[in-house]
Amino acid sequence: MDLIPSYDITIMLLTIATGLFIAASIFYFLRLIKGPSIPDMVLAVDVFAYDLAVFIILFSILCNSPFLAIGSLPLVLWAYLLNMYVSKYLARRELGD
Amino acid sequence: MIFNIIDVLEALAYYIGMILVIGGGILDLIASIGMNRFKNFYLRLHAATIGAIGGGFYPLIGLGLISLTIEQLGINRYYIAGIAFTTALFLVITAPVGSHAIAQGAHKSRIVLPKPIIVDRLMEDEESEVKK
Repeated sequence: MDLIPSYDITIMLLTIATGLFIAASIFYFLRLIKGPSIPDMVLAVDVFAYDLAVFIILFSILCNSPFLAIGSLPLVLWAYLLNMYVSKYLARRELGD
Repeated sequence: MIFNIIDVLEALAYYIGMILVIGGGILDLIASIGMNRFKNFYLRLHAATIGAIGGGFYPLIGLGLISLTIEQLGINRYYIAGIAFTTALFLVITAPVGSHAIAQGAHKSRIVLPKPIIVDRLMEDEESEVKK
């Protein structure tokens, strides 16, 4: 008797989680399109990028292809870079170093 | 019935990871609905925080724990788990700093104003500095 359920049930549960994340990304994308100001759009892009990072790891487990997974690390760091540059531009109206 | 200790640890990692992934998906959905329902940028920051920590950090930890227990992935599971844990670490370090920075930039540039407000001491300080 195994303590862990079978591989098919695991794949099914992870697919349900993928559906939840897809629904969340659609709502974030709506805010990205209709966001009235630049900080709103940047905030929406941020959480969208974090969603996508989770997505990439999920797909690399579902498709059993580990080389897909490394893309999520630069994505998270890129969201941080976008935040810092936009906030610097908004505060001082220039892109410093 | 007696189980091996390794099997018990694997089952613990599996169930904790699955709870984190499904719960993270639900939290992410709640955060995305809040992102659309809130009226103000400073209110949307709360929803973005739930989306970053509840919808990004928890599922990444959970996926790392799950991928350690799936036998069918072979040797690749350690690679995927390492990347998932590293990404979660960098996310939990950088996400609060980034959202604080964007809030400060938005307040300083006066693009978005906190509309229903009682008192704003930061804006009063900045205006008095400009007058001097």
